[in-house]
Amino acid sequence: MSSTHLWIILPAAVGILLLVFRMSPRATFLIAIGASVFLVWAAWQLPIDVVLTLGPVSLEIAPSLVLFGRNFTLDSFDKPLLTFIYVMQTLWLFGTVIVRPNRLFIPLSFIMVSLFVAALAVDPFLYAALIIGMVILISVPLFAPPGKVPTAGVMRFLTFQALAVPFVLFTGWLLTGVEASPGNVNLALRSGVLLALGFTFILGLFPLHSWIPMLAEDAHPYVFGFLISFLPSIATLFGLSFLDRYVWLRDNAFVYELLLVAGSLAVLLAGLWAAGQRHLGRIFAYGAMVVIGTNLQAIGLAGGESVQAFFALLLPNTLAMWIWAVVLGTFWSLTKGQHDLDEVKSIFRSHPFFFSVMVLSIFAIAGLPLLSSFPAHLAVWSGLAQFSSWAAIASLTGSLGLLATGARLLFVFFTQRGAQATKNFGDEVATSKIEILDIKNPINWAFLGIAVVSFVGFGLLSRFFLGAVPALAAMYPQLFP
Amino acid sequence: MEGALGLVIVILTAITAIAVLVGRDWRSVIAALGLQYLWAFLLTTSSWPLELAAVKLVSGWMAAAILGFTILSVPQQPSLGSQTWQGSGAFRSISAGLIILVVLGAAPRLAGWNPAIGESQAAASLLLLGIGLLQIGFSSSYFRTVIGILTFFSGFEILYAAVEASILVVGLLAVVNLGIALIGTYLILAPGMEPRS
Repeated sequence: MSSTHLWIILPAAVGILLLVFRMSPRATFLIAIGASVFLVWAAWQLPIDVVLTLGPVSLEIAPSLVLFGRNFTLDSFDKPLLTFIYVMQTLWLFGTVIVRPNRLFIPLSFIMVSLFVAALAVDPFLYAALIIGMVILISVPLFAPPGKVPTAGVMRFLTFQALAVPFVLFTGWLLTGVEASPGNVNLALRSGVLLALGFTFILGLFPLHSWIPMLAEDAHPYVFGFLISFLPSIATLFGLSFLDRYVWLRDNAFVYELLLVAGSLAVLLAGLWAAGQRHLGRIFAYGAMVVIGTNLQAIGLAGGESVQAFFALLLPNTLAMWIWAVVLGTFWSLTKGQHDLDEVKSIFRSHPFFFSVMVLSIFAIAGLPLLSSFPAHLAVWSGLAQFSSWAAIASLTGSLGLLATGARLLFVFFTQRGAQATKNFGDEVATSKIEILDIKNPINWAFLGIAVVSFVGFGLLSRFFLGAVPALAAMYPQLFP
Repeated sequence: MEGALGLVIVILTAITAIAVLVGRDWRSVIAALGLQYLWAFLLTTSSWPLELAAVKLVSGWMAAAILGFTILSVPQQPSLGSQTWQGSGAFRSISAGLIILVVLGAAPRLAGWNPAIGESQAAASLLLLGIGLLQIGFSSSYFRTVIGILTFFSGFEILYAAVEASILVVGLLAVVNLGIALIGTYLILAPGMEPRS
């Protein structure tokens, strides 16, 4: 057995089986969460490329599998990332108990995650672009469920992501040429431009970002959250492979400047746009863009610390995105798809705990002190201040915009007259006395517990919670020697 | 595939690509798309072995057939209506003409990037990339946007075939092509499907 069988083929098979054999939602959930927990355990505990002897049975997980003449490799350096990916997948599956998204979500999310892992495992790594393209195609039915007219956002998402694939693939070939003749400036310039364009499409960077808010406006927030949490993270890891693989790219100061510009612009614009939004879905989208931008800023700092800063941001921000998505998904169900602030605010009073963790997610992503991503934000801001003061100002302004968004939500929460407003949705809360509904369910307690531990844990006990960061950064030995 | 034969195929590619762009009837659009894949296949044979290039042809034709049968099965074809068909045929033809002008200038330079890329391959590839982008930009219907994406991919594949001949890539590109067609089908049919809880 190889690691590919275990962490790519097995989850894909589980996803396909759950898709083909329609079971009850409970059975689907139990099988999926069981498989996911097993994969987390396997990634955490099982050694790769070591013979394990269990009585008469000996087992070895080979690191590579050859498929059509190409390798899919997951070695022991990838184990921390595999653990993280499947922990997140487990949390996304757990969230379905609270949110109850489309029935396709559980099987398709499994297939998508297995393909994301395949994208990280394929060698040559350039083919990851094609695998990510396949993930995009698989995700479309989640955004355009049967019986509903697909929105313009879905079409734009599909188009932009499809256009990214050729750019990245062709760049791969050009980069090989640059490596062979490093003095060829024209070739380096061409490949750089195409690569930048490809990643601008995939990551939804300005000015090709429009699909993110458009998609978030109409899609189920939990489904959107899953995609916007995984896709840019995996694409950024894929991008790091370029830096790790090509010396001339890694040693080129202009590349890092470009990353800083793109990241800072994303943070600045997304933060400011979020501050002016009244649609919760679009605020979520701009929050995701801030995350993407901050990740790029971290990498743009260059050097081993930059990779560490990226992973230190990745862990808490991914959790914050999940928490935000769960809350928005719950509100979405209660308001039957309405996400305008005027329509949704009535829900806030009856769900104060959910509302609180949503605001904390926004504050955490903005980098508020004591919250989860503050230590990593501090490292990024310190680095930015040393290298480029304008980038630091742009980043702080974007974060302030997001903080203002959270503050505005708090203002709405404290100023609205709850009893009057709750008449719109749910007879159960349309009484003179507001009933707190979000702590009635023990599952919600578990969710709130995870949220509080993640916010406070990463923020106050960052040494413990971010202990895995060096192991994650070791995946890129050239960048993080 | 250079010389007169290459030139003929590039001209045929231009004709079919413009037919895809300006065609109002979905049958003519699908037929032109099918022919476009044939020309792309012929251009690819100079870089890839025949059996490998045939994968591209078969997957392309399957994609066209999937879209064609889908439109056939839809009682009304709202995605092809004149409301979503923005711009007149003349405007589209002029835009295609501009693309051809750009291709005439850019193809020899692109061919100079690598000896493996022939001028006819570069020209046909750039033409399809350009027309595909025009198609995506002009249309708001799922059918035409998907046709645009497939055309764009077709152009890219001609160029990529000259520099990469991995079986895995051929297979993945075929899967992506078919996937795009299937997703296009799904997007056309989804509004009429029974909702699932």
